[in-house]
Amino acid sequence: MRKRGTPPNRALRARRPPEISPTVRSLPLAFSLSSDRSMASISGTVTATSVRPRLTSRAPVVKGFSGLKSVSFSIQRNGFPSVRLQAAPRRLRFQVSCAQAKPETVQKVCEIVKKQLALSDDTPVSGESKFSTLGADSLDTVEIVMGLEEAFGISVEEESAQSITTVQDAADLIEKLVEAKSS
Amino acid sequence: MSWLLRRNMLPLHSNSLARRPFASPLPLPPASLPSPRETHIWYVVPDELKDASLLYQYMELLSPCERQSVLRMNGERLQKGALLARALVRTTLARYTDGRLSPKSFKFQKNRFGKPEVEWDKYDLWAPPPLQFNISHTSTMIACGVTLDLPIGIDIEEKQRKTSNNILSLAHRYFSPVEVAYLKTLADPECRQSEFIRLWTLKEAYVKALGRGFSGTPFKDFTIRLEASNSKQVTGELKSDAPSIVVEAVDDPGILMNRWQFALFELNNSHYTAVCMERDVKNPADGENNSLKLEVWRTLPFVEDECVTETDAVKNIIR
Repeated sequence: MRKRGTPPNRALRARRPPEISPTVRSLPLAFSLSSDRSMASISGTVTATSVRPRLTSRAPVVKGFSGLKSVSFSIQRNGFPSVRLQAAPRRLRFQVSCAQAKPETVQKVCEIVKKQLALSDDTPVSGESKFSTLGADSLDTVEIVMGLEEAFGISVEEESAQSITTVQDAADLIEKLVEAKSS
Repeated sequence: MSWLLRRNMLPLHSNSLARRPFASPLPLPPASLPSPRETHIWYVVPDELKDASLLYQYMELLSPCERQSVLRMNGERLQKGALLARALVRTTLARYTDGRLSPKSFKFQKNRFGKPEVEWDKYDLWAPPPLQFNISHTSTMIACGVTLDLPIGIDIEEKQRKTSNNILSLAHRYFSPVEVAYLKTLADPECRQSEFIRLWTLKEAYVKALGRGFSGTPFKDFTIRLEASNSKQVTGELKSDAPSIVVEAVDDPGILMNRWQFALFELNNSHYTAVCMERDVKNPADGENNSLKLEVWRTLPFVEDECVTETDAVKNIIR
């Protein structure tokens, strides 16, 4: 409850919830302690995802795999989600439906997007970020596409451009086009 | 916004409601329905919202799904904008129901192309007005257009908006050849910049009126331009000498798509605004001015409404 005399904005910002938001979808892929230990043999790259809202500092957060397309969530009683992957002995198998872009590509896309949308450097932008939730309107989106074309020396078809909704989508498409160009 | 997050997880006790004076917000003044050729526009300027308790009132109006969408936005400014947008749609539509529907009670669905529309319940003794709406926002304004039973699209852009890419590069890529040629005739870069933005808003408004999305109606496939008055198909009283905004398919130049009418104007001295509305063929005007009529209100829902139609807030209208 707001104390008398506290300016409203400060009261709004004062509380940062330690809990997780009601929506499961928007959560980063967080692993609880036990599952983390068993995944010592994880290979593959880890990219930073936006950790929103923030988890408590105790929980070791593996912030997400750029290659992870299909995951199942379960909510434990304490409210923290755990993630189950289909684990094969000695090797983790990820369910992926198509090739995923390199982290450097994702990073470069993030930079271009941040620049176009005039986001501050500490704004978390990752592969999972949707252009719409970053505040991009249709003109921003076409400008981002043109910026990407220029940066990567590719040409994006209108139909493909329409299917891009996240940073990851853009990075994947770029790599596909770059590969097609060089082959 | 994180405060709101917490609050959503608390059960609503009656004593907690009593603490909040906004439990029953001021009723919205009812508004008369738009007439057949009219678009009503209600706009909010987010920076005018100084009272944080209003944000809680607005949050109360949203469906759980909408609340989650708002909270998914990246950062407080975007969350506030998304919240205001939903609150604006709901409160605006409620005004036209003569007090029978509260902003909270509206349900929305998407048409088969993804355009949002109202999902009306069936009532025994009352037929809700067949309102259609469309919304557009920038970081400094949110606008909602409403018509009676006619498809509508609205788009706003800040007048000062600068593009990262060169105007002609953008135009070559996304506009039709006629539009590119027009922009090329403008030597002054600032003029070219503003004309690009105005043309962009018109094209966006048209695509949104059609409701088929950016991919369903590629910008390159149609031209929007001014048509001289002597080839206008309808005659108006005062405006018969003024050129009108028309749309034609690139593949079918010269065949104007008369089904659609436009208005382009400046709103609040800050934004170019384009409205595209389907022409009402059920009520054709005889010898009357058939162009799109506008009524515009500046609003801060539950706080104040101001009709700005005949004021300086709405100017340089081209239809």
